[in-house]
Parts: sequence; C-alpha cells; structure tokens
Amino acid sequence: MLKRLDRSDLEKLLSALATGYRLLTPQRLADGTRLLRPHGEGALALQGEPVQRKPTEAFFPQHDPLLRIGEQGEVTTCDPPVRPVALFGLNAADLGCIAFIDRFFADPPADDHYLARRKDALLVGLTGFSGPGGDVLPPANGMCDLELLAFGQNWLGVPWTPRGEALLEGFPDGEQAEVEELLESARTRGNPAQDLLEKAAGLVASEVVPDDFWREVGDRCILCSGCNLACPTCTCFCVEDRQEQAVTLRSRVWDSCQFDAFMREASGHNPLGTEALRTRRRIHHKLAADVTRWGEFGCLLCGRCDRVCPTGIGIQAVAAEILARFGP
Amino acid sequence: MPPRSSPTKTQSIYAPRPCRLLSVTDLTPQEKLFRLQLNDGSDLGHRPGQFVQVSVPGLTEAPISVASSPDRHGFFDLGIRRAGRLTTALHALQPGAQLGVRGPFGRPFQLETLTGKDLLLIAGGCGLAPLRSLLQYCEDHRNRFGVLHLLYGARSPADLMFKEDLHDWQKGACFNCRVTVDHSPADGCYDGATGLVTGLLDDLDLVPGRTVAVLVGPPPMYRPLLDALEHKGIAKESIMLSLERMMRCGIGKCGHCSIEHLLCCQDGPVFWLPEIEHLRGAL
Repeated sequence: MLKRLDRSDLEKLLSALATGYRLLTPQRLADGTRLLRPHGEGALALQGEPVQRKPTEAFFPQHDPLLRIGEQGEVTTCDPPVRPVALFGLNAADLGCIAFIDRFFADPPADDHYLARRKDALLVGLTGFSGPGGDVLPPANGMCDLELLAFGQNWLGVPWTPRGEALLEGFPDGEQAEVEELLESARTRGNPAQDLLEKAAGLVASEVVPDDFWREVGDRCILCSGCNLACPTCTCFCVEDRQEQAVTLRSRVWDSCQFDAFMREASGHNPLGTEALRTRRRIHHKLAADVTRWGEFGCLLCGRCDRVCPTGIGIQAVAAEILARFGP
Repeated sequence: MPPRSSPTKTQSIYAPRPCRLLSVTDLTPQEKLFRLQLNDGSDLGHRPGQFVQVSVPGLTEAPISVASSPDRHGFFDLGIRRAGRLTTALHALQPGAQLGVRGPFGRPFQLETLTGKDLLLIAGGCGLAPLRSLLQYCEDHRNRFGVLHLLYGARSPADLMFKEDLHDWQKGACFNCRVTVDHSPADGCYDGATGLVTGLLDDLDLVPGRTVAVLVGPPPMYRPLLDALEHKGIAKESIMLSLERMMRCGIGKCGHCSIEHLLCCQDGPVFWLPEIEHLRGAL
C-alpha cells in the first residue's frame, strides 16, 4: 500500500501525528543548525544534513531518572512520559542506530526502562531527495514505521508496520514506478565511507595496528568526550544519586570511555589506564568488538563524531588514517 | 488513535530489593563481613561466584561478590573492603540498618564442571571473599569433589581475611589449606609461611589430568600464577578465573566492565582462561 503525498497531505499527516504523539520534526535554527525539535516551534527543514543531536536521546536521554528511593527505602520507578514520542525525518543511518540500540537494550536481561520509553514510539524515515541540497539519501529498508521518499514536490509514503499503514489511510495511492529512478540512483551510488570502514575494521580486528598508533591518536585527544556524547550507538552510562530532603533520585547519565575514571576501580586498578588504551577501545569497540558480539559494526556512519571532534580523530578520520598507514 | 504509554507495573530491573543488616564483623583493618537478609525473608537465590549491586541511597551502587554458600539459608554474606565513599558508608553501619541489593548477577563458578574433580582453589587478598561462597559449597557437598587444595595469600598477617574460617579450614579434613603472607612483621606474632601465593604451589602434589584450578585475586596475581600453573602441568582449559571490574549496572548495559566484546558482569565475572587470555586488558 503505497501512498502519494503532496505538501498539504504532509501537513495533514503531521497534524495527525501531533495529536497522538509528542512529535519532533527537523527544523533549522537561525544559526543554521538542523535539529529535531517539538513540532511547530520552527519551520520544517525537510532537506539537509543529518540532525545535529543524536536521535537516540529520545529513548536514552543524557540524564535519565530511573527511580526514587524514599526515606524508608521504598522504591518508585520513574515511568516514561504518557505521550509517546514520534520522531519524524530520520535518515537511514540514524534509523540503523536506533535499531542497533533497540537490540542492545532488549538483549536479556532486557532494560525495561529503555523498552518502556521505546515501545509506543513511532519512527518516520525521510529518504529520497532529502539530503543536503536535495541530494538523494539511501532508503530506510524497513527500519521505521513509515518511510517518506521525497521526489519532486511530493513524497511516496511507504508503510513498514501496521501503525505506519494506519497513518497513511485516506491518502491517494502512489506507485513505486514514480520513485524507481530515485531508488536506482541510491542503489548504484556506492558508499565509499562504508568501504573505508570495512577495510579499516579488518586491520583493527587482526591487530595489525600497533600500540604506537593508538598512543599517537590518543595524544591528540583533548578528552572533551564529544565523540561518545554525539554517537547514537554509544550507550555507556554512569549512575548518579541526587538527594532532595529524604528522597533520593537515582538516574543514569551518559558516560565516556575516553575518561580516565571510566573503568578505574576503587582498588586503583584501571584496565583503561592510558590515553592509548582508551582510544584503541573507542575504535576497536565499534569496528571489532561489536562485530564479534552483535554481528555488525557499532558505527552506522552518521558522521557526528567526525563533525564534533575538535582534533580530527573521529572514527572515519581514524579509519582513513589506519588504512593509509597499515593497509595494503 | 496511536497507542498510549502505560506506566510500568512490573518491578524495574534497576530497583533494589530491601534487605536488613543482621551483623557486621571485622575481618581486617580494611575489611568487614556484612551478613544480610532480604526483608521478605527469601533467599538471595545466588550461586557461588555471583555478585550483587549494593545500593546506598545518595551514593549509588557498588558491585560486591557474595561470600557465602547458597546452601546456608536465611542470610547472605558480603566481605567488603573500605575503598571509596560507598564502602566507607557501609563500614559505618550498625546491625539493623536497611540496605538495598540488586541481583544476583553474573556467571557463577560452573559447579557441574567441577564435580568429581580435584580442585586447586587459589585466592589472593580480598579474593577470598568471592571464593568463600565456593569453599562453603565444597564443605557442604564434600563428597562431590576429589582432593580440595586451598591456597591463600595476603600482604601481611593483619590482612588475612576470614581468620576463623582459615583456622577451621587448616585444622579440618575438608581442605588441604595453605596460607602465606608477603611480608611478616618483626614482632614474632606470626609463625606461618611467608612469600607469594605462587610459592605455595612449589611442592604441592597435583594430578593435572583431574585438577581444575580456580583463581580469585587482584589483577597482578594472575600472570605469575598462570606461569606457575603451566609449570605444574595444569592445562589452560582447566583454569577458571574470576575477574574484578567496575560494574555500574550488573546487567550488561552500562559498558564499564567490557573486555573487548565480553561484558564481565554478564559473560563473567567467572571465565575459563581460554575465553579471555587473548583479549587485550583482560589479565
């Protein structure tokens, strides 16, 4: 059931979404930043670079209250907001990141706190000619409830779940033929960044990258932790208690494996006690450890760590350097 | 209409279970033994080698190994070194205090694999606390095992944990128990062995083919001990270790205890040597 939406249809769809969900849509700030923000707060930015902040924060926020502990030790869990969130306008990389952490948090023992936030949420992919300057983006391949492929002044609505199907009811029928050229263009485009990542991953996994390299890259790190905080598949957290009178609010807070204290134990033992070890861990984890454990890279090439890193050691930059120095 | 979120009715995996402190016993100047009981009276449900997350409101949680056998009912023991803010607060508690625990978590000692074997049980420092859960289990099920060797090393006589237990294990028939300290004070009050725990292996009579070694100790202990075990003919496949890591969640989500692709809190803390020896940072 494909549907063809024009601009007024799109507005209707957004209105329907805003009725039942806490709807976040891509908008552009005055400084040019493209962000997911509450729908209606600013003008829609349906084309452009990936949204600046990681969309996974909708389900795994930077500060995430877990529970309250009362004076007598009674525990009350912090439930998710009553209105589930709908994320509109996600590209394939970001949808892949959400799928990655969905599986991570659902893996037994399941993280009920994450799943409660995630289970009623709705994902709308925005692909087709939606990239920067109207460039074509790769298709979502089913990683969302509903995909909108932009072409010309229209969108082809592709439902991937019953909820997506229900949302498209009533709109005029569309034809895949209308976007065949678009899909073919996306298919034949190739992905040089993916090729680069795969080749570098092979070198990292086979341990041909020497410790001196990790030391050198680690020396360039200024410990801002931006790579971890910007990464949609980074899920590491520490736990924090805040006390207000007799009640303790226990939360989880994003953490960074680039910090010296990340693994340091009370005994003083620190398995990641040097910059070189921590840098290797960041790259090895995404390109080798995640492949062993989960069968896929922990990097979906969203590009955020490379954009945020002030010293140019985001994962794609490091992968390129590995390939240049240690590749065939 | 899209579905609406509904409040979670089940108890969260992050919610601690309330428990009561039954007693506190000094073990060393730095370590105390805490005996706890769940408020609902139920057993913890652990297996030897597992750990719990001990919750102190205001100070978050710390992973602590269970130091008693699951077959000793009505309580569970935790041997805790005072090392940070949370453990310092625990050391100030009096019997009757309320605490919270989550767990038990982690992969325990694989008792089914140990059954019928001679066991070479080696602990260093406060590693005796997690090993004690297995030692008590062995005491309670003595006929399931062959020869039981227990080797324990601490820095000084004052640092020896579970002194009463050690006395009983040395005097009793269950274990061939040997104890050593790195350094003996000059006051002459200690007349036991001195030297590293590896030295206790030198003249130990082992049958490699039917011996499983179980190691629990501080990270620097493992490499020299593994060399000594190789020298004694113990195969890598017959060596089990419990690793210490900073676990924030206990359920494989926080990332703090990762060893390459493994998560110490879920895939461990007990590992067979071949599972980890090739991983950077494991040992």
